[in-house]
Amino acid sequence: MSTETSTATATATTAPRTEPAATLLRVENLHTVFEKDDGVVHAVNDVSFDVRRGEVLAIVGESGSGKSITAMSLLRLIPSPPGQIIGGRVLFDGQDLLDLPDDAIRQLRGRDISMIFQEPMTSLNPSLRIGRQLAEPLRVHGSVPKDKVRERCIELLRQVRIGDPEKRLDAYPHELSGGMRQRVMIAMGLACLPRLIIADEPTTALDVTVQAQILELLRDITRASQSSMMLITHDLGVVARYADRINVMYAGRIVERGTAHDIFHRPRHPYTVGLMESMPRLNDAIGNRLTPIPGSPPDLSDPPSGCPFHPRCRFAQPRCKQERPPLERLDEEHWKACWVNLDDTH
Amino acid sequence: MTHTDSHTDVTTPLLQVSGLKVHFPLRPGLFGKPAAMVKAVDGVDFTVHRGETLGLVGESGCGKSTTGLAVLRMTPLTEGRIVFDGEDISHPDAATTKRLRRKMQMVYQDPFGALNPRMRVLDIIGEPLRVHRLTRTRAEYRERVMDLLDRVGLKAEMADRYPHEFSGGQRQRIGIARALAADPSLIICDEPVSALDVSIQAQVINLLEDLQRDLGLTYLFVAHDLAVVRHLCHRIVVMYLGRVVEVADRERLYQAPRHPYTQALLGAIPIADPDPEVQARFNPSVDGEVPSPIDPPPGCPFHPRCPHATDLCRREAPRPLDVEDGHSVACHLHDPSRAAEMNHSEPSYQEQARNIA
Repeated sequence: MSTETSTATATATTAPRTEPAATLLRVENLHTVFEKDDGVVHAVNDVSFDVRRGEVLAIVGESGSGKSITAMSLLRLIPSPPGQIIGGRVLFDGQDLLDLPDDAIRQLRGRDISMIFQEPMTSLNPSLRIGRQLAEPLRVHGSVPKDKVRERCIELLRQVRIGDPEKRLDAYPHELSGGMRQRVMIAMGLACLPRLIIADEPTTALDVTVQAQILELLRDITRASQSSMMLITHDLGVVARYADRINVMYAGRIVERGTAHDIFHRPRHPYTVGLMESMPRLNDAIGNRLTPIPGSPPDLSDPPSGCPFHPRCRFAQPRCKQERPPLERLDEEHWKACWVNLDDTH
Repeated sequence: MTHTDSHTDVTTPLLQVSGLKVHFPLRPGLFGKPAAMVKAVDGVDFTVHRGETLGLVGESGCGKSTTGLAVLRMTPLTEGRIVFDGEDISHPDAATTKRLRRKMQMVYQDPFGALNPRMRVLDIIGEPLRVHRLTRTRAEYRERVMDLLDRVGLKAEMADRYPHEFSGGQRQRIGIARALAADPSLIICDEPVSALDVSIQAQVINLLEDLQRDLGLTYLFVAHDLAVVRHLCHRIVVMYLGRVVEVADRERLYQAPRHPYTQALLGAIPIADPDPEVQARFNPSVDGEVPSPIDPPPGCPFHPRCPHATDLCRREAPRPLDVEDGHSVACHLHDPSRAAEMNHSEPSYQEQARNIA
């Protein structure tokens, strides 16, 4: 938020009111499919959003909503076959990442955009020492002179608050705890001072006290370095605490987008409303009954007609079955893809 | 569904666990060398009353799942006593075990791994009926399974399908129907909703609530998600490294947690509301991670991470003490008889509390 105001004052004050803070990454109409035996799965369908400088942008959704596939598509990490990006553009620094030659995107990964994955147990090579793995991005991208690599690795481990970093460099992954391994993953992600960090469920496998430590750390570090973060998660508590803006995905599409306040206090898409109502909260009245969303998410190889949420939607109208609603702007930051006009009373 | 055919007084607790210890050898020692022991459960006491839901919570390695397995008598006890429905089941013979299998059932975490993929739903749900010979004819068997399907919100025609045709939430319903089949009095739920998406999770939570209300079930609910536990459990046992650190009803536990670990655990849960006022309550004060249960720290197991730890805590494990009726805490801070020793090693609790606030 603070970066937004500082850029606004730095640039001409005559800029239109709706001019957003500088865009770092723009995704336009991304479309990723997977070939399956029983047909084509449209895992990500016509997804557009941008990531601004210095912000934490969240993508939330349940399993199969396409949030992780979206993230992996950006860096072209989709296993192909069976996956394929069949449409869209991913603009970073004016160039389309989907058009870059293979060696150019490889150069960019880890240097300009890095990714922190969900599984600290499987994302590290079990047979290599921590120091060797941590040094890899530095060596590949030549961002630090050879004789300074070890020094930089120690500095990185210190930055993610791993005690006794000199000794840890010689440890193997199995000698570290889960939280420690995730700290190493974060250190690797930060090694080359990327401008964008994509964190895909970075703490899902960790205990809650450790999750809190890791997320606070990740947020502090990205803030200090003024990089942006794309946070991909199913955990609404995590989103509420760390995200500036939120994209809600359902069945491969963005159904609502807004500031954290919009999404939690003025949700306008029935799916978002349903998520909020089905979640037990620590500040609920005890004895309240949850209101689940009926049914389950659709099979994306045979998605429903019209709005993908209509079979589970309690507000559905005949039109919802026939026509798919586009993502439309409600106000400056708030967008929704729904034919029904919900207000605060639902 | 019939009521439990228990002859015991309904005022006696359904389950009483006292001094429970479950230690596992890490690997066989070489040349008869004693193996290292994992002290998964190391002295646990709690009681489950009829018709209530007791939550067993804690982070990984705290022993909550092992405690559940010990109650089910699916893992041998190292020490301690388990009394179920007035009967000591610490060392059951084969016949008692079989009887227990009927009275206690389990709902598992992984709805994908817990169902045999080669069996039809009819036979998955009906298995306890066959094992315990609870139905006489094929027709009665089928009818009973249909009742169970209906109970858990599934359609009768689903009986002849196989598990892979169902979603995660539906599979969890199948698992619950199976657990209900033999008309048990205690159901042990081990993380029954943690593998499910939020929207589906709420369906299963509501189902568990409905079943308890309609059938008078008692649940031992093992989970790590404290928001779900607060919603479902009447009383809560907080475990850390194989021990019980705090027991209280949910109102008191969440309003006024006493043990520093419970306070840390509750402070570390991100709250699903971005308002700065609400977020100010978030207080991930505790550092470090849970130590290994192979070589647990001496004294209080939480002392290496506790902001209030003193020499006494490093030396001597605190015993659970009632701080008020129905609320017990194992922490020297709350033991008036140790106040002098606690204050002796500064900083004092009050100062620490002020520093944190």
